[in-house]
Amino acid sequence: MRRRDLLKKMIVAASTFGLASVPYAIGRLMVPLTTFDFSNHLRPPGALVNEDDFIRACIGCGLCGEVCPPRCILFEKREGGNGVNTPYIDPELKACILCQKCMDVCPTDAITKIDIHEVNMGLAQIDRTACYPWVDRGICGACVNICPLGEKAIAFEFANMYRPYIKEDGCVGCGICVEVCPHPSLPIRIVESVQGTVTRHNA
Amino acid sequence: MNNNIKPFFLWRHLNKLRWVVLSIVFLMLVLLPFIHVYQTFVASFSYDLLDESEKFLFDIMEAITSPFVDDPAQELDAIKGTTWSGNFFGYQISDPLAVIGQLAASMSIYWPFVLTALVPVIFTVVFGRFFCGWICPANFLYELNTIVSLWLQDLGIRAGHRKLDRRMKYLVLAIGLGLCVISGSVLISIIYPPAIIGRELYFAIALGGFGSGLVFFILTLLFDLFVSRRGFCRYICPGGALYSLLGRFRMFRIKRIVDNCNDCAKCNAVCEFGLDPLHDDFGQECNNCTACIAVCPTDAMTFVVKIKDEGNQGPGHLGKQYIRLNQVQGKQDAAT
Repeated sequence: MRRRDLLKKMIVAASTFGLASVPYAIGRLMVPLTTFDFSNHLRPPGALVNEDDFIRACIGCGLCGEVCPPRCILFEKREGGNGVNTPYIDPELKACILCQKCMDVCPTDAITKIDIHEVNMGLAQIDRTACYPWVDRGICGACVNICPLGEKAIAFEFANMYRPYIKEDGCVGCGICVEVCPHPSLPIRIVESVQGTVTRHNA
Repeated sequence: MNNNIKPFFLWRHLNKLRWVVLSIVFLMLVLLPFIHVYQTFVASFSYDLLDESEKFLFDIMEAITSPFVDDPAQELDAIKGTTWSGNFFGYQISDPLAVIGQLAASMSIYWPFVLTALVPVIFTVVFGRFFCGWICPANFLYELNTIVSLWLQDLGIRAGHRKLDRRMKYLVLAIGLGLCVISGSVLISIIYPPAIIGRELYFAIALGGFGSGLVFFILTLLFDLFVSRRGFCRYICPGGALYSLLGRFRMFRIKRIVDNCNDCAKCNAVCEFGLDPLHDDFGQECNNCTACIAVCPTDAMTFVVKIKDEGNQGPGHLGKQYIRLNQVQGKQDAAT
């Protein structure tokens, strides 16, 4: 083979490769990476805890969203990066009720069927400088009353007033307390459970 | 003239059946998100709190579904999902591309999921690229888009008829799977139109807004209009490439009966995938859509059970070329 032919073939191969990558380039350019805030991007209950594992397993079929009774499961669009079309829950809009329907339906076991007490979506955290009972601004127990796990996850303690506090072992981070919290600045939020209850200071 | 060979009469009407199936699949993709919205209304026991428009939807869905189910919150879960991956009365069915993409992304085999693609794979091995012609919701829109291109031609705007290399889609498939491996994510679904259609319809109806997939889909429609007719399916679609490979040795094929053919080339004109039925060039790309059977004026197209295509059988025996050839042959015979 002459050098000229080889060069020609290499050029053709490279340009074909480039041409075939165009659809992916278009697809990826439509989903630019933006910052990812954990507190309003919870994975559905039972999702694989390791983020990379979850993205590898999920095929983005949307079945978990289609069976969700409160219609709380949304899908990553621009903000997802590699995890585009994977499900997430924004508890500030609508939160999970731990009904376990999405666990039944997931074809790839990216969302595994587990007991609701072993779910690990995160951990609720109360900002005690804003929560109404904690700052003596009035009686409130919306988060305690709504919690699907009840006394195991959140309870009152009495000191001057009935104040809610999170039980670290019981709370699975479904976020329904975030949804019902009446305070406009949302003193309750979901953090990653490895962070404990230490407030996350965003820059 | 030999008029004894007649294809089975039903095969002319399979194209109508195909349009019915395509419409049903597409309408289901529209209906299922509405059903899901209705289910969420039922689950929340909140009829009195609904908007007027939401009450309207509730009433319509109740009227449609109440003859079939007693408990909408539970029983309507029987059919869920899209053509990418769905539940059908307890059976999970996935697109083979979803399985291959997930295998590539995770580099491990999860058997329950791999087996969900078994039924489509078997159907593809038997019927070839049937999904593309008979089920794919994007194909439904692309074929309607072909009609749009005809309107454009009536208006004097030239539609594209560029020919590219058909093998490009295999390259797209290979590169897509490579990108799945590299990124560890089933990225191939962002350029696969049936997955996009199902997802975007769900986003638009149940979650209140289209995603970015719609833009890509419109780009493919424009590509089909102005670059190449049905160009995306023929040259780019990675799923089509996978189905072509699986259906290479399919059992059911379309065959031309040379005795009945008069070389009118209507089959070539109607073939959405730009194949050449007139010269017996079906190959692995044929999706058995039967449009050529339906359009043939002399019943020269038929289904056969065969593993291999026949080569070019020459001009049709009712065509001018063949008759003239025969006359020349006859004169020569008479002269000798």
